[in-house]
Amino acid sequence: MVMMIPYGERVTPDDRTVSSRPLMRPRPASRTLRIVIASLLAVWFALPLVPLALWSIANRWSAPAVLPTEWGFDGVASALAAGGVPAFGRSLVLGLVVAAIATPLGAMAARALSRGAVPFPRLVSGMLLAPLALPAFVAVMGLTVVLLRARVPGLVGVVILLVAAALPYTVYTMRVAYAAHDLAYEEEARTLGASRSHVLWRVHLPLVAPGLARAAFLAFLVGWSDYVVTVLVGGGTIVTLPLLVGSFAAGVGNDAVVAVLSLSAIVPPLLLLLGLGRFGRRYPTARYFTGPTASRSPKGAP
Amino acid sequence: MSVALVAPSVAIAAFVVIGGIGMSFVQSVGLLPLVGEPRFSFDAYLANSDELLLGLGLSLAIATASTAFSCVIGLTAAVVITQGRTTGRIVAALSALTIPVPHLIGAATIGLLLSDAGVLPRLFGFAGTDWPDFVGGAWWVAVVLEYTWKESAFVALVVASVLASRVARYDETAALLGASRARRLRHVVIPLATPAVIVSAIIIFVYTFGSYEVAWLLGRPYPEPLPVLAFRLFDSISLTSRPEAAAVAVVTTAVSLLVVAGGMALLRRTPLWR
Repeated sequence: MVMMIPYGERVTPDDRTVSSRPLMRPRPASRTLRIVIASLLAVWFALPLVPLALWSIANRWSAPAVLPTEWGFDGVASALAAGGVPAFGRSLVLGLVVAAIATPLGAMAARALSRGAVPFPRLVSGMLLAPLALPAFVAVMGLTVVLLRARVPGLVGVVILLVAAALPYTVYTMRVAYAAHDLAYEEEARTLGASRSHVLWRVHLPLVAPGLARAAFLAFLVGWSDYVVTVLVGGGTIVTLPLLVGSFAAGVGNDAVVAVLSLSAIVPPLLLLLGLGRFGRRYPTARYFTGPTASRSPKGAP
Repeated sequence: MSVALVAPSVAIAAFVVIGGIGMSFVQSVGLLPLVGEPRFSFDAYLANSDELLLGLGLSLAIATASTAFSCVIGLTAAVVITQGRTTGRIVAALSALTIPVPHLIGAATIGLLLSDAGVLPRLFGFAGTDWPDFVGGAWWVAVVLEYTWKESAFVALVVASVLASRVARYDETAALLGASRARRLRHVVIPLATPAVIVSAIIIFVYTFGSYEVAWLLGRPYPEPLPVLAFRLFDSISLTSRPEAAAVAVVTTAVSLLVVAGGMALLRRTPLWR
């Protein structure tokens, strides 16, 4: 029987071989170093989220005290009174609309590009990635004039600009997905008599579903996190969660409200991220199907 | 058929990118005034030339520092993540936790952590006046820290995914051939990670160079980075300020595009690029 040793697992060999094989000798110094570096990194990533957790359940926290002096939910009450719920709803709708538009568009473009039938493929891929290189405020300041003169409603303008900002992510994610996607399954289904729409819904989309979910998540994040576009195009009339946080954080003494609103802005994407991890596991068939062809992707071959 | 599939995305991207840059330029040279006759001139660029140069330097400094720190910390995290074990899994989970946090929320929580009434001075027992001016101070520490915190997690994610798919076999081969850990890191892991690090660095630099909300929330009122300057001019009520804001936007775009071009040239010179 062949014993599989996963990469990164420590193999402790027999004592007799250790002395003659320096590679396998346990290294307490490097182990300590690894743990110290990992702990520093853990603190680095986690520390900034600590104030949110503490302040969101603090009613009063007088300056020198290390922990809140009075625990409670005043911050939640003020956040609700400040219109936290409608702002949350607006952010949610904005994120979902951007995801609903940018994901299919990105998937269609990636599909066409990966089949190699698009004229000027380098120019087209470059154009689709270009929004990453353009600061959002430049696009907004240039286009407000156009949108105003064309009498495009503010909300539509915001959605157009955010969809453009999300396209690089959805196109790239779906190109990776299609690189590992085997057209033979669709051709097979067609040969067996399935209609085009049948192939799309029963073969093609299920196979790329994990990629679609990742692309939709990234597009949702673009709409959910946006501040600049909503402020400039919306002119302050579309109050989303980041706008509310921004206006409270710019003032002083709002620490509890800021913490509560910030937490409510972090939790939904985190839940989606966890769901994304589960989604990948719940449909293992897609991975099994694409498994053997994955080595054809450019990333797999160094 | 394929053209029809690509057309809608290309149309939206082109409208926003080409339209955005083009209309910013047209406004900045005075061809689209709010009132009066269009007249070609570079007045808008010269009107705030001192602030423009100061803002350019400041924005370049913030973006350079944030990009450099993010890449170093992110690469370290990616190496720790790729090694596996419990430590790697903890770092992977915590950096993934950071990814979906919006930048504005990151700025708000860094403010709660580092301001002179923040959590850290309380924790270390500093009185408000003894605590250094991280937020709103001369060195823009809180701004750079916020960018570095968010973007190092981004680098870790991108680089770790590249290393996971490539590095294991080469690393094992080098180890079997007798390479020490330091040599493997220097000659195997880092060269394999370089293209991914360069791509992330381009994205981070352009983002931090043109981002408004973090510098606005955690920075000081003067001098202003380019996006903050553009915002103030854009919202100002005087008639000449719109072209001046557009001029700042054009300068920001030009620098961003130069950085992208330079980064791509660097990327092509890496041995692993295709």
